Amino acid sequence: MSETTYAYAHPEALVSTEWLAAHLDEPDTRIVESNEDVLLYSTGHIPGAVHIDWREDLQDALVRDYIQPEAFAALCARHGIGPDTTVIFYGDKSNWWACYALWAFRLFGHTKVKILDGGRDKWVKEGRAMTKEKPLSMAAEYPVPAKRFDADIRAFYDDALAQSQEGLPLIDVRSPGEFKGEVTHMPEYPQEGVLRGGHIPGAHSVPWKTAVKDDATFKSPTELFQIYSFGCRLKSDDDIIAYCRIGERSSHTWFVLTYLLGYEKVRNYDGSWTEWGNRVQAPIERST
Amino acid sequence: MNAYPEKLGAIIALFESLPEEEKRENLIAYSEQSKKHEPKPGETFDLEDVRKDEECTDTVGVFLRVDAEKRARFRITLGPQVQTLTKAMTAILCKGLDGSTLDEIMELPADFVPKIVGGQLVRIRSQTVYYILTRMKSASKVFLNRLRAAQL
Repeated sequence: MSETTYAYAHPEALVSTEWLAAHLDEPDTRIVESNEDVLLYSTGHIPGAVHIDWREDLQDALVRDYIQPEAFAALCARHGIGPDTTVIFYGDKSNWWACYALWAFRLFGHTKVKILDGGRDKWVKEGRAMTKEKPLSMAAEYPVPAKRFDADIRAFYDDALAQSQEGLPLIDVRSPGEFKGEVTHMPEYPQEGVLRGGHIPGAHSVPWKTAVKDDATFKSPTELFQIYSFGCRLKSDDDIIAYCRIGERSSHTWFVLTYLLGYEKVRNYDGSWTEWGNRVQAPIERST
Repeated sequence: MNAYPEKLGAIIALFESLPEEEKRENLIAYSEQSKKHEPKPGETFDLEDVRKDEECTDTVGVFLRVDAEKRARFRITLGPQVQTLTKAMTAILCKGLDGSTLDEIMELPADFVPKIVGGQLVRIRSQTVYYILTRMKSASKVFLNRLRAAQL
């Protein structure tokens, strides 16, 4: 019996380090670095890359929410990104924050987006060019998006609750210990203020890391199919919600499900466990 | 007003005088010096504490040498996944606390960290900026306890 092999649904959403090294000056393209380590960009970055910070640039400073369309347009404009610019994201932590930034761009309807497979670590390990020079100012015009596409790719508490109650696919991408309720934060990270441990009832545990190889590149389409489509019994028209603790690791899984496996209805619950685990009377399941 | 060890006080004063952008530039510069504070060949230490804690993203080694007047010199090793701010704090603390007494280190309040790092960079996921100071204090405490036990 021959094994079925699969292809990425949207291979164009990934660029390799080799390709990027040869296309640093690609027209109508902007490289964006987005990290957890807030100073990492300044220690050296891919030539021509600009820096977008997940918190300072993408999140509202007061309300727990994302910036409004006006601020997004201004952010893009000052980084030389126009509505037709292809944006290639990369960063530390196997591209957690790069995927988060990509997802945030999609919230504003910016669809020309790609991920550097392997992210910053792979680029550095391969000894490729790095610089501390910030790119020259290349202001662009970015019309203010008419709306934010929250309903399409973002889930809120009520959406996740309904998903749980209806038995629809919920993917918990946190570490096994967080899923089981043994710990309320991932290993090596501070407690970010969660009062209860466990997971949303009915959620599948598929830690984000199962989607990547040791060099931070994504696993093959066949392996990803085995993990998500077969392992979680996802159907092609399923409405899927992924969550973690604050929405960054689940952005990574959202990217895998949306771009690499081709699921069309995937939402990232960015409130994630820091909302659910603190919410009064939110149902919680624990497992051993 | 807190009285910090002299060398550390000078570093704090410098950072406090800088605008946010220059603070960051100086932090980067310090982070790049962190390797200079690793143990040198032939150096010996009174206490070595190498471990991986949950509070930090990689292994950190603290090496303490204490002279007859109980003045400390620290050397630190950092694993490759340690964040840039932690690297910067390593260089700052190794330099700023060099020659301080163990009692001064034990009594040092942590309130200077935001003065150096700046309000914008002290965020939930940057709590490891306090980690190196905690490890230095921990090593100092262990050494002092051993000293007291030996004197009994």
